[in-house]
Parts: sequence; structure tokens; C-alpha cells
Amino acid sequence: MLPVKDIGDLLSEISTLYIIDEAAEITMEANPGTIDEAYLTAVRKLGVNRLSLGVQSLNDRELALLGRIHTAAEARDAVCFARGSGFDNLSLDFIYGLPGQTLTDWEHSVDDALEIAPEHLSLYALTLEEDTPMWTAITEGFLPGIDPDIAADMYELAEDRLAAHGYSHYEISNWALPGRECRHNLTYWRNLPYIGAGVAAHSCMDGHRFANTKDLDKYLGYFSGKKSSLLELDEEINPELELAESVILGLRLGEGINADDIKSRFGIDILAHYRRQVEEMAAAGLLEQTDRHLKLTRRGRLLSNEVFWRFLPG
Amino acid sequence: MEQALTRNFCIIAHIDHGKSTLADRLIELTGTMRHEDIGEQVMDSMELERERGITIKAKAVRLHYKANNGQTYRLNLVDTPGHVDFSYEVSRTLVACEGAVLVIDATQGIQAQTLANTYLAMENNLVLIPVINKIDLPGSEPERVLEEIVSVLGYKASDVLLMSAKTGQGVPPLLEEIIRRIPPPTGEATRPLRALIFDSRYDAYKGVIAYLRVADGRIAKGDRLRLMSNNTEMEVLEVGYFAPQPCPATELTAGDVGYIATGLKSVVECRVGDTVTTLQGGVTEPLIGYHPPKPMVFAGIYTTQAEDYKYLREAIDKLNLNDASLTYEPESSPILGYGFRCGFLGLLHLDIVRERLEREFSLSLVVTAPGVTFTITKTNGQKITINNPAAFPEPMEIEKIEEPWVKISIITPSSFIGALMELLSESEGVYKYQEYLGQHQSVGELGQRVRLEYEMPLRCMLTTFYDQMKSRSRGYASLDYEFTGYREGKLVKLDVLVNDMPVDAFSRIIPPDKAHDVGKAMVAKLKEVIPRQLFSVPLQAAVGSRIVARQDISARRKDVLAKCYGGDITRKRKLLEKQKEGKKKMKNIGRVEVPKEAFLEVLKLG
Ligand SMILES: Nc1nc2c(ncn2[C@@H]2O[C@H](COP(=O)(O)OP(=O)(O)OP(=O)(O)O)[C@@H](O)[C@H]2O)c(=O)[nH]1
Ligand SMILES: [Mg+2]
Repeated sequence: MLPVKDIGDLLSEISTLYIIDEAAEITMEANPGTIDEAYLTAVRKLGVNRLSLGVQSLNDRELALLGRIHTAAEARDAVCFARGSGFDNLSLDFIYGLPGQTLTDWEHSVDDALEIAPEHLSLYALTLEEDTPMWTAITEGFLPGIDPDIAADMYELAEDRLAAHGYSHYEISNWALPGRECRHNLTYWRNLPYIGAGVAAHSCMDGHRFANTKDLDKYLGYFSGKKSSLLELDEEINPELELAESVILGLRLGEGINADDIKSRFGIDILAHYRRQVEEMAAAGLLEQTDRHLKLTRRGRLLSNEVFWRFLPG
Repeated sequence: MEQALTRNFCIIAHIDHGKSTLADRLIELTGTMRHEDIGEQVMDSMELERERGITIKAKAVRLHYKANNGQTYRLNLVDTPGHVDFSYEVSRTLVACEGAVLVIDATQGIQAQTLANTYLAMENNLVLIPVINKIDLPGSEPERVLEEIVSVLGYKASDVLLMSAKTGQGVPPLLEEIIRRIPPPTGEATRPLRALIFDSRYDAYKGVIAYLRVADGRIAKGDRLRLMSNNTEMEVLEVGYFAPQPCPATELTAGDVGYIATGLKSVVECRVGDTVTTLQGGVTEPLIGYHPPKPMVFAGIYTTQAEDYKYLREAIDKLNLNDASLTYEPESSPILGYGFRCGFLGLLHLDIVRERLEREFSLSLVVTAPGVTFTITKTNGQKITINNPAAFPEPMEIEKIEEPWVKISIITPSSFIGALMELLSESEGVYKYQEYLGQHQSVGELGQRVRLEYEMPLRCMLTTFYDQMKSRSRGYASLDYEFTGYREGKLVKLDVLVNDMPVDAFSRIIPPDKAHDVGKAMVAKLKEVIPRQLFSVPLQAAVGSRIVARQDISARRKDVLAKCYGGDITRKRKLLEKQKEGKKKMKNIGRVEVPKEAFLEVLKLG
């Protein structure tokens, strides 16, 4: 982990450049097994007020399958350290849809997570990437394949269970207790400008999306004047694309999008502009329109890509 | 040159027994070409022929041979294709010759087309010189094969030559035997012209080049001639022979084999088997009755991209200039768009046409399952012929269906008889006859060789029959077949419905008792290859309104649900763009999107 002193320097540097809102959300991400209570207490004191823990699972067999270095006990310890050091805005990441994972396995995980009672939960479906060790193990028959229908059942189980415990499903993969939605991430889904600092960070503003190089030497080289640019991506987002991205990102949200909001931002009435797509997706039961409001249905959340690509320009 | 010093002969054999290799050796031995100029193969000059190692078109070459008696002879050699699809070409070639060299592979012995071609040659009164080839191979059994030739074909052991066309060992005596045993041509140069066309091809500059054998009379440049089957007139632009490249000559006379350039625009006008005579003072009787081969196998050919149709039309027109046995007429299909229903001599011919269209004209094609021509008598008395299952009338309108039958002959070591008979009866074959070939007892563990004769619907040969025959006999069995006529059949049309919509390209004509099994297999295959859609899709096989098989593809429930934060947006959008592109490449069956590969997969299903 980054030493406490560095975090302190970073925060004070930012505060000399910008005025930091008193109620600003300052999140740190950490993995269990890499932090202790002393460390967390120190960073909490520096002003970090939200902690996101990459728990992934509370089952040792699953953690091993995912190639994680921590155990379920270490994950639970990390939660205790967080609470003990005064973090009252805690988010946990979990992964579901693992090879061989049953619906009952997942039900236990969800119940375990609820028992911890974090303010925020991110639940990610495992995406099998080609040429990873797990992909190889599945194609060679050492691991069972991933059944998308079981993964869908898991998603719906979590939806129901979390709703019953007062969590709102405010984005496809994110749940939060009232008022604890991640403000940082909401910026992305509302397609508002953001600045990322540091190696590999992405930013979006003034009709461009760009990314810093992932190469640390190159990145540092820029500051010592050896490299002329630190960008690895600089993409112009024309208004047509920005509109499409706003719709696609906005539909990820539980609240969906409001045609009037979009109209005031882009001057375009999306209900007319995308009429064919909206009708088609509504007929397929993936999209739901109430007055000037569009959002994904329960089924639509699981098949969101089918909806999204239809809004792309061209 | 004197007729007495001319010999016309062809080389016949079962496929791959070494005809073209032997022709190459004779070209080399007579000094017609030097060894280093021959290279890999002279005879199989088309790219496709070299790649597949088979002869597709017959070729004629003139050789000059100085015999042991000091005389120089003119030998006209014709190399023929061995595959059964081209047996019509072989039969015409035989008429142009007085003799044939019958090549038999020493590792295989007599095979189905060995017999078929031998009988054809005998019917045409040709003098046959049997040779056992490939004696250089370690697995060769010249003694067993010799015994087979003696007992099955009735030759004396001393009539048979042993050789290796590859190494040249034993080949020189063949030239002397050709001169000694094959008679010179007869025919009178002073009589009116009669010449038989035994092959033709299209040349962009000279028009159709006809290969012919002059029976009587003479042909010179500038002569005005007439084709007897259709009274097409033409002027001879050039006469000559092949050595093996074309050599113009002053004339061809009675007994000669050579070519004429006709200036005609398509081989369809100048077909194999036709007789040519002079426009004025010609003969009235052709050399042989002219009946061009009828296409037996039909399939729809479409382009993958509908807008490429016009290129397909041009390509087929061009191919047809050189391949008269290919027939085609436009057809359209609700799913495949515009294309052609094409007729072929057989499955190899179909495959060659498909490959030439794709390769020489850079087209991406969809070819529907091959089928046959049915003759249907309707209840109202009307008689129709149909070669596209989609055009089948409703069951209650059908009085009688007739379909083509073939007589097939299989030669196999006896240990595979059981397995093959089983295959034949599954394929609706009717047993006719069985005979053992030769008396040789030391035939190894596979047993003595047997010839099985069956009759079966041609329809049953068009699916996996040949592959099955090969696999159930571990590659040992060989097959020959010939069309015998039409017979009544109890048949129904099996339709396949995807999401309640019949897919014309998937329809099959089959016996009613197979409807359930075939339907089940097709539906299962579809379920395997059609990706899940946003809605559930019923897959049904039906005969008329009766559903014989059904499976459902359940609706898709979940896509990839990747997280999407600031650093993911561009990458994620690129993935969505890819997904959108992918949709454009789908074939649509109503609302159901099917990848082209999946569509082809099902078409291939037997
Ligand atoms: N070892 C050996 N191989 C031979 C001999 N004669 C032919 N071959 C090989 O057998 C294969 C078939 O020879 P081809 O001359 O193409 O046979 P073909 O009878 O003309 O074949 P089709 O025209 O397709 O019927 C080739 O791979 C030849 O090289 C021989 O005497 N010895
Ligand atoms: Mg050949």
C-alpha cells in the first residue's frame, strides 16, 4: 500500500491547488491482506472517508479459484479494521458466476455480505477473458463452464435479497443504502467531466476523453521533460457520440434517463431521435418508458448490451 | 502420313491408378518433351487438377515414336478422367480410339471403375492392353493383381505388362505393344467429312476449341462445317494437334486426332459427342447417336452477400463457356435471395464448380443441400419435374412421385461385406448380385475381393453415403454407379420451421418413415448452432401440418455484465460497436438472427 505519508502529501497538494468541499467523498481502494488497523486509522485521520474493499468472496475455495492472495478470514479482518478505525462508509466488491459455483453457494455469500452490513456493494459477474488460466482450464475441461442462466439467477437473487434489506439498486452492478451511492462513479454514468491524475488515469472534459500512459517510466519521463506527451489515448467525443454515450451510460442507472434532462443538455429529443430503438427494446421487454423517462427493466439489466449497441451512432 | 503408321489410343483406369503419370512418361520417352520440362505433371495442367491430383478434363497429345522396326509412328494419346462423374467424357473418348491402355494399380487391383471402363471399352470394340502399375511401391501385389486380371477380365498372363509409371521401369515395351496390338485407324480421306468431338474448351481468342477424331474426309483451315445435332455452322480458324502445346497443321485427315478452332462463343454450342461434317456435300448420318449427359444432381447456389448476385451471374456464364455439362437457371429464395438452381454430373462436379466459382471469381457462396429431379404426377393429371424441394406441391395434390435410381457396384475385401450391406440397406439399397473376384487365396486377413451389385435411389447417394462406405471399409471399398431410370417412390417433403417460419433452404424430400429421425437430427443441429435470441424460438420439423420433431431455444437471459467506470467507457463502446457490426453479418430468418456459418452447417447436414 501507498505509505501514509504519501497519501498525506497527495491530499495536502490537492488542497493547495483546489478548494476541497467539506463533505467531499474521498475513497480509497484496498485489498484484504494488505492493510491493518493502524494504517487505516492513519488514513482515516488524513480525511479519507470511504473505503472500498476488494473482498471478491468469503469462500476460500472461490478465492483460490480467482487466484486471490487473501483468505476469507483476512477479508473479515479487513472489515473489522475498517470499522475499528472509524470508516462508516464501506463498500465491498464481490464476484459471482464462477465455474462450479451454485446458486446456494451464492446465496450464502450474499447473506454473509449482508451480515457485515456494508453501506455499499458492487457485485460483478465474472467475465471469462480468452487466454487466461481459467479460460484454458475451462476449454481443456478441468473446470466446468460458466452457465449464463445460473449467473442470471444469481443476479436476480442478489437484487431481491438486497432490496429486502433496504439497498437501492442504483446501477447495473452497484447497490447502496440511501445516500451512500458512490458520488465519484455517478459522475461517469451521468457522463459529466472528470479528471484522473497519475499513471494510467483517464479523464474526460471539453469534448475529449484521454488516458495517461500505463508505462510509469514514460509517465515520469514527461515530468522530467524527456517525453513530450503522457497521453496514450486522446479521443474526440463529437456531440453525436456524446449524446449516444450519455444515453448508454445513463441507462446503467437505476433511475434511468430523463428525456428533458437530455434535451436541455443536447437540444435533442431522444424519444423522437431514438424512437425505433425505444419501441423495439420496449417490445422485447428490455426497456421501460414512463412519461419522459426511460430505464432498463429487470430483464433489460441482464441484457443491457443488446439495448446499448442500438443507441450507437451510424 | 500413312494411316498404317497411326495409332489412336486412350488411357483408362480407376481414379488415381496412374493414367496421367503414365501419359507423362510416354511423352518423355518419345522425346515429345524433355524430362526437365515435364516437371511435376504435364497432363493435369489446370491448377485445380494439380492441387487435387485428379484429372478433370480429357487431354489429347500427339507423339512420334521411332519403333524397333525402324518406322516412325504417329501416336495419338488421350488421357481421361477417372472419376465416375466424368464417365460420359470417357465414353466419348473411347469412340475416338482403336485401343486403350488399361491401368491397374498393383496395390489395389481391380476397382469399381476399372470394371466399368473396361466394359465400356469392350462395347466400343477397343483393343485393350492391361498394365499393372506402381510395382515400385512396397505394398504392391503384382501377382495377386495379375491373377485377378486373368480370372476376372479373361486376359492371358502374358498379355499383361508390369511397370512403374513413376520411375519409368517397364514402360518402354508398352510403346512397342501399342504398335503391335492396336490396329491403325480405318476410314477414307476421300469420303465426305465425319469427325467426332470428344472434348471442347473455350479460348478467349479463338473461341471454342473442339478436340476431334476424323473418321472420314479431311479438315483444313477455312473449311465451312456444320455440327449435326443443332446445325450450328462454323468456319475453321485453325487446325492442329497437341504436343502437348497446340501445334497448327495444314490439315487433319481420316484417322487423325487433333483440334479445330471454331470461333464459337460457348462450348454449349459445340458439345462432346456431336459429329461435324462439311456444310456442303456432308453426310446425313452422325457417327454416334448424340445425347449429352443429363445433370443428375441439383443444388442452389447463392452469394453470401445478396448484392453480389450480379457477379455470380457473370461467373456462372463464364464457367459455362468451358463446362457444358453445368446447367443453371435463376431462382430465388425468401432467405437466400437471388441465386441459381444448378445441375451437375455428380457430387465431385458440384464441388469443382463451387471451388472454381469461389476461387477464380472470388465469390463467397452458400450452396444448398444437393438433391435430384423428381417427376410428380398431380391429382389433376398434370405432370411436373422438380429439382428444388421448396417447389414441391402440397401432399394432397400429389398422385405419384418418381425419382431417379442408380445401379451401383462396390468392390470390397470380403471382411467388410457385412458392414457395407448394412449401410446399403439403411440407404434404401436393393440387393441384386454378389460375386467373388479371382481365385487367389493368399489375400491376407481382409479376405478375398467381392463385387456387390445393388440398386438404390440416387437421392440416397447424395448425403454421407460415399464417406460412410469409405469409413466402414477402412478405405478399401470402391464405387461405381450408373443411372438406370425413374421409379415410383413413397416420399414426403420435410419442412423445417424456425420460429414458425418455414426455411425453404432446409426442406428435404425423404421417405415418410425417416421423417421423424431426420427431423429430429435437423432440429437438434439447429438448436446447437443458432445462438439464443431475445425471445424463445421454437424449432420444428413438419410433414405438411404434422409436426414430427420439436425443440425450443430458450430466450437469452444474460449478456456480459462488465463494470463500466471512467477508464472503461471507450473500450466498452468499442465492444458494443463490434457487437453491432456482428449483427450485420447475420442471416435473418424472420426475426431470428443466424450466423452464416451456422446456416451452412445445417445445409451440410445429410
Ligand atoms: N509410387 C508410384 N506412384 C505412382 C505411380 N503412378 C502414379 N503414381 C502416383 O499415384 C497418384 C495418382 O496418379 P495420377 O497419374 O494422377 O492418376 P490418374 O489415374 O491420372 O488419376 P485421375 O485422373 O484422378 O483418375 C499420384 O500421386 C502419382 O504420383 C507409380 O508407378 N508408382
Ligand atoms: Mg489423371
